[in-house]
Amino acid sequence: MGETVLFQAKTVLTMNRNQPRATHVAVRDGRVLAVGGADCVDPWGGADRVTDLPDTVLMPGFVEGHAHMMAGAMWDYAYCGFHDRIDPQGHLHKGMTEIGQVIDRLKAFQADLPPDAPLIGWGFDPIFLTSERLSRHHLDQVSSTRPIAIVYSNFHILCANSAALALAGYGHDTNVEGVIKGDDGSLNGELQEMAAMFPVMRRTGIDFRALTQTDAAIRAYGEVCKRAGVTTVTDLFATLSNDDVARLAAAIGHADFPARLVPALGAMGATPAEIASNALALRQASTDKLRLGAVKLMTDGSIQGWTARVRAPGYVGGQPNGLWNTPPELIFQLCEEIQRNGLQMHIHVNGDEAAAVTLDALEAAARKHPWSGARHVLQHCQMMDAALFRRAAELGVACNIFANHIWYFGDQHAALTLGPDRARAMDAVRDSLDAGVITAIHSDAPVTPMGPLFTAWCAVNRQTMSGQILGPAQCISVEEALQAITLGAAQTLKMDDEIGSIQAGKRADFVMLGADPLSVEATALKDILVLGTVLGGTVHRL
Amino acid sequence: MTQLPLTVIGGYLGAGKTTLINRILAEKHGLRILVLVNDFGAINIDANLLISADEDTIELANGCVCCTMGADLFLAVGDALDRSPRPDHLIIEASGIADPARIANVANAEPDLAYAGIVTVVDGRQFDTLRSDPLIAPQIHGQIACADTIVLGKSPLTPDLKDSLSAINPKATLTTPGQFDIIPTLLPHGDFDESDAALHPAYRKWSYVGPKSFDKSHLMTLLLGRPKALYRVKGQVRGTAGPGFLVQAAGPDVMISDIEQPEQSALVGIGLAATLTLADCDEWWAARPGSSRL
Repeated sequence: MGETVLFQAKTVLTMNRNQPRATHVAVRDGRVLAVGGADCVDPWGGADRVTDLPDTVLMPGFVEGHAHMMAGAMWDYAYCGFHDRIDPQGHLHKGMTEIGQVIDRLKAFQADLPPDAPLIGWGFDPIFLTSERLSRHHLDQVSSTRPIAIVYSNFHILCANSAALALAGYGHDTNVEGVIKGDDGSLNGELQEMAAMFPVMRRTGIDFRALTQTDAAIRAYGEVCKRAGVTTVTDLFATLSNDDVARLAAAIGHADFPARLVPALGAMGATPAEIASNALALRQASTDKLRLGAVKLMTDGSIQGWTARVRAPGYVGGQPNGLWNTPPELIFQLCEEIQRNGLQMHIHVNGDEAAAVTLDALEAAARKHPWSGARHVLQHCQMMDAALFRRAAELGVACNIFANHIWYFGDQHAALTLGPDRARAMDAVRDSLDAGVITAIHSDAPVTPMGPLFTAWCAVNRQTMSGQILGPAQCISVEEALQAITLGAAQTLKMDDEIGSIQAGKRADFVMLGADPLSVEATALKDILVLGTVLGGTVHRL
Repeated sequence: MTQLPLTVIGGYLGAGKTTLINRILAEKHGLRILVLVNDFGAINIDANLLISADEDTIELANGCVCCTMGADLFLAVGDALDRSPRPDHLIIEASGIADPARIANVANAEPDLAYAGIVTVVDGRQFDTLRSDPLIAPQIHGQIACADTIVLGKSPLTPDLKDSLSAINPKATLTTPGQFDIIPTLLPHGDFDESDAALHPAYRKWSYVGPKSFDKSHLMTLLLGRPKALYRVKGQVRGTAGPGFLVQAAGPDVMISDIEQPEQSALVGIGLAATLTLADCDEWWAARPGSSRL
C-alpha cells in the first residue's frame, strides 16, 4: 500500500452529481481514495502527506477525444498561422494577419538555423489572408539561398522559395499539374497536392513520420497536453507497428509523461480482416497509460477544403461534391468486420452524406453482429442534423463534435462553403445532447489548438472570429460543456469507469485551474488559466 | 542515376487489380519491380519464388519486391527512390477510390521518376451499377478517363461495354486480362528513341535507317509479324508510291498513317534485354517482303 496524499484546493469541481463540490481529495496508489472536506481521509487512516493548492480549482483532468500526435512536433517548424498559438514550451506565437508579418517571423526563425538547413513553416491558411497570395517572391525576401517551404494548414498546398524550387528541378519550362504559375508564365512558388509537393518535401527533408514516430515528438505531445489541462489524449489515426508500440510504451510509461494516450489504429494498408486482427493484438499491449485496440476509419475530406461529402443542396458555391477517402462499400466492409471482432471504431465524418452512409454501415454491421455495448464514435459530425443525431442515439453511436470550427471557420462556412443557414446548424451540440447521444467536443489538434476550455467556450458561446453568434439555438450550458470535455469524452473512449470525474476508486487525474469555470462569465471560460495537471496522483506543474 | 519509371494501376474495389499484380510479380521479365500495394490481402506468391516476407515487405527470388504503402503513399514513394539498388520499375496499386492521375502526376513532378502509364482495371459486371451510383460514379468515371490502358475483366468485352468505355476515354488501349501484356507497360514511355545513354540496361533497342520502301499492306504484314519481344516500334517509312508512312506499333496494335514522303526510312524499336536479341530483329527485317520484289 502506497502513501496517502491529501490534495487541498480552493474548490474541487468533481463532475460527480453525488458530491459536485469538495475541498479535499485523498489519493492512494494513483487512485482517488476519498472526496470531501479535510476529514474525508480520516476513515482511511489519515494522510501521509498534504499537497496544499490554496489558489487552485481542481477538476477531473480534461479528455481530448480527437487530436493527433504531430501537434507537439509541428513546433520544430516555424509557425506561420493567422491565429495566436502557444507552443509546448508555453511561448505565445502571435497570429500573423499580413504576409509581411509572416516574412518577419521566418527571418527571425532563420536566425537560429544552421546555415544550410532548410526552413520549414506550417499553419499558413490562405482562407484568412485574402488580400494577397503568398508567393516565392515573398519567401525569397527571407533567403535567396536557403531552401524554404511553407506547408499550409490543410497539408494540401505548400509554397516554396526559388532555392527550394530549383532543388526540385522546377523552372520556367516546368509543366506539371499543381505547379502553379503566374500570368507571366513564371513559377509562383505554390505547389498544390502531394504529387507536386513531393519533390520539394523530399529535398527539404519534410517527413511527417518524424512528427509522430520519435521520442521527441511524443514528449512534445505530452507538453501540449499538460498546457491544455488534458490528462487523457487520443492520437486518432496512428501507425502502430511493433517498433512504434515499443517506442510509445517506453516514452509514455515514463513517470514524467503527463498523460494517458489512446491511439487509434488507422484503418489503411491492410484488409479489414487484417486490420481487425492487428487491433486485437494491439489491445493486448495496453497499459495504464497506453490504451490500444480502437480503430480509426476515414470516410470523407473537409468542408473548408470542399472535399467533405455533403447531401443536397451541396456546396453553396456550386463546387462539386467532395471525395471519399474510403469508398462506401469498403466502409460497410470495415464496419462489419471490426464490429464482428468486438473492436471500437472512431469514424471521421465531416459532411452529412458521410455521416448518413456511416450510420447505414454501422446499422448493417449491428444487424449482422449485434453488440449493444459497441459505442462506436462518429468524429467531427459537423453537418449532422437532429435526425442524424437521433439515428446515432438509436444505434448507441457516440458523437464527438468539432466545436472549435465555429470560431475558426464559422464565418468562412457561412460565406463560402455551406451558406449562412446551414452554417448556423453546424456542430450542433445542442441537438446531439437533446437526442440523448453520448457527446464530446474536440480540437482536432494541430488543425486547431488543443484546449478543452476553449473548445467548451466555443460550444457554449458559438461566437465566430468576426464576433457573430452562429446558430444560438445550438448553444449549450457551461455545465454541459464541462461534461463534454470530461465524462463525455471519457465515454467516447470507454474509459468513463476510471476517468472523467473525481470520485472514489477512479484514477487521480486532475487539472489545476486558476478559476472556477462555473463562477466566471460564460464568455470568459477560455481565459481560465491552466496551472498544470495531476496524473495518477503525480503533480505536473507548468 | 536513371529515372525510376512509375506505373499506376487503378480501378474500383474487386475490379481485379491484385490479380494483375500477382501476374506482374511472377512473370519472367527480367526487371526488378517494386510494387506498392494497399494490403497483402490477395497477394499470392508461389512459395518457391519467395525469399522473405515480413509485416510490410515481400521479397521474391526474381528480384521483385512487394510492399504495403502504409498510411502515406508518398512517403513510400520516397522510400522506393531511396532503395539501394534502385528498382527497375515502380508500380503503385491505387486504392479503390483513388484517382490514379493524381498519383501518377508525381512522375511528372519528380525528376527521379518517369511516367510509365496508368492501367485501369474495370469489372465488366459491376460497371453499369457503379457508373449510375451517385455516391461514386464521378470517381469511377475519373479512373477510366485518365487511363492509358483499360483492362476489362470478369465479363466479355461486349460492343456495349466497349462503346461506353470508349465514350469515356477514346484514347486508351482497351484490352482484357487474357490479352493484357504487362511488358509494354514496363517499357519506357515517351521518346525512347532519343538517346542510347538514357536507355536502362534492362531494355534493348533496335533501329534501322536506310532507303528501304514499302507499300502499306506489306508494311502492315511485316510489322504484325515482327519478333514478339520487339514490343514497340515507331518511326517513318518511305512508301513505294506517293506518301510515306508514320508507324506506331505497340504489342498487337499497329498503326500506319500517311505522311509526306520522308527522305529515308527510320525506325526504332524496343524490348526487354532479357528476351529481345538484335539477331532476331535483323533476321526479321532482312526477310521483309520488301520493295525489291515489287
